[in-house]
Amino acid sequence: MEVEVRLFATLRSILAKEDRGVGIVDIEEGSSVDDLIEYLEIPRDIPLIIMINGQRKSEESLLKEGDRVGIFPPVGGG
Amino acid sequence: MMDFSNEQLQRYSRHIILQDVGVEGQEKLLKSSVLIIGTGGLGTPAAQFLAAAGVGKVGLVDADKVELSNLQRQVLHHTTDVGKLKVESAKEKINSMNPDVEVKTYPYYLTSQNIKEVIREYDFVIDGTDNFPAKFLINDACVIEGKPLSHAGIIKFGGQVTTIVPGGDTPCYRCMFPQPPKPGSVPSCKEAGVIGVMGGVVGTIQATEAIKYILDKGELLTGKLLTYDALKMEFRKINLKKRDNCGICSDDPEIKELIDYEQGACEL
Repeated sequence: MEVEVRLFATLRSILAKEDRGVGIVDIEEGSSVDDLIEYLEIPRDIPLIIMINGQRKSEESLLKEGDRVGIFPPVGGG
Repeated sequence: MMDFSNEQLQRYSRHIILQDVGVEGQEKLLKSSVLIIGTGGLGTPAAQFLAAAGVGKVGLVDADKVELSNLQRQVLHHTTDVGKLKVESAKEKINSMNPDVEVKTYPYYLTSQNIKEVIREYDFVIDGTDNFPAKFLINDACVIEGKPLSHAGIIKFGGQVTTIVPGGDTPCYRCMFPQPPKPGSVPSCKEAGVIGVMGGVVGTIQATEAIKYILDKGELLTGKLLTYDALKMEFRKINLKKRDNCGICSDDPEIKELIDYEQGACEL
């Protein structure tokens, strides 16, 4: 299935080849956000805000075809 | 009501004619106090606009001295200030900009031991720090002291900002991110770089939030994380709720004492 992923701040380079942090990710049916994080190789020691279709969700949430997933890391610079 | 001098009426005339400010609002600003923690990329533009706006007392916290590599974005510091304490450099500029503003400087780092007594003196806190240990410490201290806070972070071409008013339904920084990332897992500006204007945009948003809070006008960025992507020139606002099991702002918080997290080696 395909989901639309938007990565923010320091994570956007993970999808650098796509449109600056935005990309369609083809992931196995029945995958969770956790699986997506694994697939994108986002480091596990960063706390994340996960938004699915505009609602905050947990990393255990299951994904479905066409979901819009936004992943926000904290930004520490000043 | 306070007596405005002719100079003050002129200085603040563009505020006074605003329906949402007026003489009453300007008086509120002149009687208010804002603490700015970190006088760097975020803190200097925030300090500049708050001082110009006539916020009566501005506290500046920073132990660092001005370096040449700061000047690309920390616009209150000039080339001749290199080597000077940042809080002193900022104080000089504010004093010359607006004599109505009392500037109090704290040329040291805030820790779990001293932060509460410092923030207690102020109506509003602006987090302009450049590291996660400080950001979590400031959040936790403001929640404990019930002090409103503008939190922000900037990196590369991006920034994020939110406002926290403890005691109500507002999520705190820990509701958004339960704990700091492992040291070194998220790069700092020193490692990743930051476009100079970023602090100007985001720090000015922080100053705007402080002014709106003081005036009690408009809607604050409470319960919202505003993200700014300068490359796409895109602002996004995401709605966030308070977390029932938040370590600091829930009914039965796990954190009883403030924590001094370890700084990543590369951030020092």
